[in-house]
Amino acid sequence: MTLVSFPPSPARHFAVVVQVNYLSLSVVDLVAAVPLEKKKRLSLELMRISVMSQLQRSFSMEFPSLVSLKLPSPMETHLWYIRPDEVKSPSLLKHYSQLLSPSEKDQVSQLRGDALKKNALLARTLVRTTIARYQTNNAVDPRSLMFKKNTYGKPEVDWQNYKNYNNPPLHFNISHTDSLIACGVTVHVPVGIDVEDKERKIKHDVLAFAERFYSADEVQFLSTIPDPEVQRKEFIKLWTLKEAYVKALGKGFSAAPFNTFTIQSKAGTKGEYNLCKTSEMTTSSLEKTNNCNGGWKFSLLELADSHYAAICIEDDQASSGGAPMRVIVRKTIPFVEDELISESKLLKVV
Amino acid sequence: MATSFCSSISMQAPISATTRRFSLQKPVSIFNNGKTNNHLSFSLHRRSMPARHAISCAAKQETVEKVSEIVKKQLSLTDDQVVTAGTKFTELGADSLDTVEIVMGLEEEFGITMAEERAKEIATVQQAAELIEELVQEKTA
Repeated sequence: MTLVSFPPSPARHFAVVVQVNYLSLSVVDLVAAVPLEKKKRLSLELMRISVMSQLQRSFSMEFPSLVSLKLPSPMETHLWYIRPDEVKSPSLLKHYSQLLSPSEKDQVSQLRGDALKKNALLARTLVRTTIARYQTNNAVDPRSLMFKKNTYGKPEVDWQNYKNYNNPPLHFNISHTDSLIACGVTVHVPVGIDVEDKERKIKHDVLAFAERFYSADEVQFLSTIPDPEVQRKEFIKLWTLKEAYVKALGKGFSAAPFNTFTIQSKAGTKGEYNLCKTSEMTTSSLEKTNNCNGGWKFSLLELADSHYAAICIEDDQASSGGAPMRVIVRKTIPFVEDELISESKLLKVV
Repeated sequence: MATSFCSSISMQAPISATTRRFSLQKPVSIFNNGKTNNHLSFSLHRRSMPARHAISCAAKQETVEKVSEIVKKQLSLTDDQVVTAGTKFTELGADSLDTVEIVMGLEEEFGITMAEERAKEIATVQQAAELIEELVQEKTA
C-alpha cells in the first residue's frame, strides 16, 4: 500500500493505492488548496480506512460470515459439537485464534501439549461463534462477546455491552473430551451438559468408585449388572447424567455432592431420567417419591457412535406439562459447515 | 495443647497470579497458646479468597513426589511430561472424572478420606500434598 503525492501541482492531489490480493482498490482524494496539516490528517485517515477495508475483504474472501440461527424453543436444547480431528487447516485454526480474548489466549497457551491447546481453542471458538449466531436481530461479532462467572464460578455471557439487546436470555454450557467438544444452548432455563468417551477406562474398580462417590441406590443398581463391560458403560452414563445436573445447577460441587442424589431411568420411557434426592432418613417409599420432585429434565444421547452426552435443564413443569426434552443436535465446523444429526441417527440411550 | 513446627519453610514464588501464599524464610515455631485445636496449617485452596493470608508449611518433598506419581499414572502421562509441585491438573488435561480418580488414588495411598468438596477444590499437586498432610496429621494427632 502506498501513499502517493502527485508532484508539483497547484491542486495538491493525494492518492492512496491499496492492493488487495489480486484486486486493486484505488481511492483518490482530491484536495485542493487545503493547508498541509489537514492534508496529512486526511491522508492518514484515508490510509486507515483503506487498510481496514482491505482486511475486511481478505477476511470475508477466505471465510464467510457466520450464518445466523433460530433460537431454541422453550424446553428445547440445541446441542452443538465439534470433532477436533476434523479440523486440520492451519489457516482456519489461525482464524479461530483471532476470535479469542487475551485472557482466553493466555489460558490456551498455559496448557501442556499441542492437542490440549487445540482443543481449548476449539472449545472457546465453539462457544463464541455459536452464541454470536443466535443474535438474529443484530449481528454480533464473536470476538466482542464477553463472559463472566456467576457467584459459584459457572461461566455465562456478559451482555452489558449490548444496549439494544432484546433477545431472551441464552444459557449455555460446554463439555470436552479429547475427541469431542460439545456446547448446549437453551433459552430461559439453565442447562448443563457432560460428554464422555464411551470407551473410557476407569482405573479403579467401578463398584468401589461408585460406593465412594455415588448414592446407595445407584450402587445397588450397578451391582446388579453381571457383565463388567456393561457395568462400566452404565457407570459412565450415570457419571455424565450426574455431572450434567451439577453443571445445570451451577452452584458448584459442594451444593450437590454426588452421593446426595440418585438418577435413574424413567420406567417405560426411552432416554428419560428422574432425579431423586437421597436422604438417610428415607425409609418409606412414599417419602422416596416425594423426594423426586421433577424440577429437572434429563436426556442421554449417543453422539457420533463414540460418546455419551447427557443434558440437564431446569424444568418449568407448568409450561412443559411433563413432556420430554427436545434436543436438536448439530455437528459443526465454525465458518465452514453445520450438519444436522437426524433423530433417527441419534440413539436415545436407554 | 500442642505446638506445631514448620522446620523448613521455603520461600515460594507465586505459582500463578491467582494463588496467594507466602512463607517465611527463617525457620519459626508457631505456638497456639494452649488452645486445644492444634490444627495450624491452613492454606488457600481457592483462587478467589481475597484478603486472607496463609502461612503454609510447604508439604514434604516426599509427599509431593508421591502425589506426582499418582497423577502421572491416572493421566497416563509420558516420562517427558514433567509434573512439579506447581503443576495445575487442568494444564495436564485432567477433567472432573480424572480429578476424582486422582483423589481415590491419593486416599488409597495415604489411608485418608477427603471430603468431596475439598477434594474438588484441589487444583495443583502442591495443594493436594498439603491437604493430604493435613488429613494425615489429623488422623495421627
